[in-house]
Amino acid sequence: MALLALIAATALVACGGGDSATTETSGGENAPVTGQFAPVADAPSAYSIVGGEAELERSGGGTTVAISLNGLEPKTAYIAHLHSGGCDQPDPGGPHFQFEKGGSEEPPNEIHLRFTANAAGEGEAETTSKREVPAGEAGSIVLHVDDSHEMTSVEADEPEVETIFVHEGVDHSQEGSGHPGGEPQQAQSGKVACADLEGAAAGAGESTADVEGEVPTVVVRDGEPVGGVQTLEFDAGDEIRFQVSSDAAEEIHVHGYDVSKEVPAGGTIEFDFPADLEGIYEAELEQLGVQIAELRINP
Amino acid sequence: MNFLPLAHALASRQDLPVPAWLFAWGASIVLVVSFFALAAGWRSPRFEQLHERPLGAGLSRVLLGLPVQALCGAVGVFLLGFAVYAGLEGTEAPDRNFALTFLYVTCWLGFPFFSAIFGDLFRPFNPWRAVGRAAGAGFAAIAGQRAAHASYPERLGRWPAAIGLIAVVWLEVVWGKAGSGFDPQTVATAALIYSGYTLAMMAVFGVEEWCEKGEVFSVYFGMFGRLGIFGSRDGRLERRRPLSAATTWATIPGSAAVVIASIATTSFDGGQEGAFKDGIESLTGWIEDLGFSLLTSLRLSSTVFMLLCFAGVGLIYLLGVRGMRTVPGAPSTEKLRTGFAHTLIPIALAYLVAHYFSFFVFQEQAQFGFLLSDPLGTGTTDLFGTVNWEVDYTVLSANAIWYVQVASLIVGHVIGLMLAHDRALVYWPDYRNATASQYWMLAVMVAFTCFGLYLLSVANG
Repeated sequence: MALLALIAATALVACGGGDSATTETSGGENAPVTGQFAPVADAPSAYSIVGGEAELERSGGGTTVAISLNGLEPKTAYIAHLHSGGCDQPDPGGPHFQFEKGGSEEPPNEIHLRFTANAAGEGEAETTSKREVPAGEAGSIVLHVDDSHEMTSVEADEPEVETIFVHEGVDHSQEGSGHPGGEPQQAQSGKVACADLEGAAAGAGESTADVEGEVPTVVVRDGEPVGGVQTLEFDAGDEIRFQVSSDAAEEIHVHGYDVSKEVPAGGTIEFDFPADLEGIYEAELEQLGVQIAELRINP
Repeated sequence: MNFLPLAHALASRQDLPVPAWLFAWGASIVLVVSFFALAAGWRSPRFEQLHERPLGAGLSRVLLGLPVQALCGAVGVFLLGFAVYAGLEGTEAPDRNFALTFLYVTCWLGFPFFSAIFGDLFRPFNPWRAVGRAAGAGFAAIAGQRAAHASYPERLGRWPAAIGLIAVVWLEVVWGKAGSGFDPQTVATAALIYSGYTLAMMAVFGVEEWCEKGEVFSVYFGMFGRLGIFGSRDGRLERRRPLSAATTWATIPGSAAVVIASIATTSFDGGQEGAFKDGIESLTGWIEDLGFSLLTSLRLSSTVFMLLCFAGVGLIYLLGVRGMRTVPGAPSTEKLRTGFAHTLIPIALAYLVAHYFSFFVFQEQAQFGFLLSDPLGTGTTDLFGTVNWEVDYTVLSANAIWYVQVASLIVGHVIGLMLAHDRALVYWPDYRNATASQYWMLAVMVAFTCFGLYLLSVANG
């Protein structure tokens, strides 16, 4: 686990903008959570100077998210999503944040922000949701190029657009278990920048499993788990929660519990099931027959 | 790449390592019990005579009579043949084929477990013995005389069985790292080769002679059967005092090697993912650097570690023997070495129970569930209507497994001490010298038991 965190941290230094992230886990009226945008690891070179700020504020049962960026391509449409994981995940941000897990992949179930950069490569957007993002679940905000808006001249004329709950009916989230047939590679390569909110890694070398909202992730590259077979510990009666991200499409199978999920190429999936069997169980890549993780359920 | 032992290929659930507090308790109890045993030792041997009580003559005549013996033998031959058939013709998935579970779990673990209670259960069902005896009877009927056999070299003793025992486990846990071709076909083929070898040896040396000394399964299962309460002698079934038959087991050279091989191979399997993991990995890397493939390197390094286990366990035992030799009035080293070998049988059994008890409980559900009804794993047969019986992993809690593991080691330790104390009273007429000699065997037993606890506490580490 420590090794994995270390590798993830070094491989994705470009994404390490989360130094100013504040994590508020105590209840009540929270101070805004803020984060700094930084280019993601595999961002095109044109985006190496991207910077900016993200702010998430919970108030009165609602959530307001505001972002402002600079260093973008002029007159280009962008879309940002609130993700549940941190920027240091191999697939930055992990899956989209959703109020109803596994529900609609569009607002209001997710938090999306759209804008088009002005001639100077700057842009900002703000959106308000009527629901409060649970503490610790606002991992990060990830910015993509918005392909569906590239050609719309209307927005190009108005450089600074505040977009609230735009319903385009276009599916932008091509990750997640629900869309194995999509083209997740494109979705990932479209990622430009990421700002850590509450998903900042809890320090390299430390298990992240205990941090609220931080789900341990097993990274699969070339048919093998990065950093060797990962040991994930849970207590009987709790929830078994972990993510698997893979560079190739595979089926992940948890033995004993006999739970399987498909992960698309370049995608991330999350397991979440009750820990009702004690003992040690394997999670493996079903097609290759390679073990990627060892689940220890302690009594 | 990940290469996993067979247990992973069959049962989905592995045991959690014994927690530190239980390890500490177990080790403490072992030490306290040991000192208590030293202080409270009895002064005349209790197990050295069989204390047998014959069972009814009628029962003996039926059970040891030709019809029942022939029937049992036929059952053994049929089951072996069927397992080989399933292995060759059935699915390649290890967990869905009758062959692997039947041969390596039901028989390989079941016979030791139950023989240790009831006596040697394998002997009547031994398929090679049945075939050998039938062939011998056939030969006698045709030739009009009994087949002549070569005399078995005494010095060889039970060494063929000891080496064979290591080979059987080696095939499972070294050659058979999952994903490296250890499949039902391999095991079925190995069973055929072993059958040919065994029948040839029986033809050369005689059926009973080979079963007594060279046939791996007869010797190995029979060893545990010596702990049990039933036995047969001179055509008569008898009830014995538990453990008493063990005292006469190790009279054949190489017997110590058999019991040491048992402890060593179980230790290796128990430690290959825990205590020995780092060592095996670095040795594998080193061999790989010499230009061997990863799989070959892994097998080589695992073989080295398995042999190291054998050497290590043997060395500890020989140190104990050497120590006892220094006590005034001691018999020869040779006599001590064979004379105390049987005291390790309970330790070997305890190791087996500690490492495989849960695996056995889980996998036997598969054996009598879907494997019985769909032995070839084709998904099309349901012979007994049990094809949907899957393994229920909730039948044993982690705590239950831990307690059985630690308890088995402690009980094995105590029984080993009892047998050793008993034997010392035979060798040293002077009670004080007998006790003094047992400081050494005590040290040996404490070493094995604490090593066993240690293996459990870092299992799958």
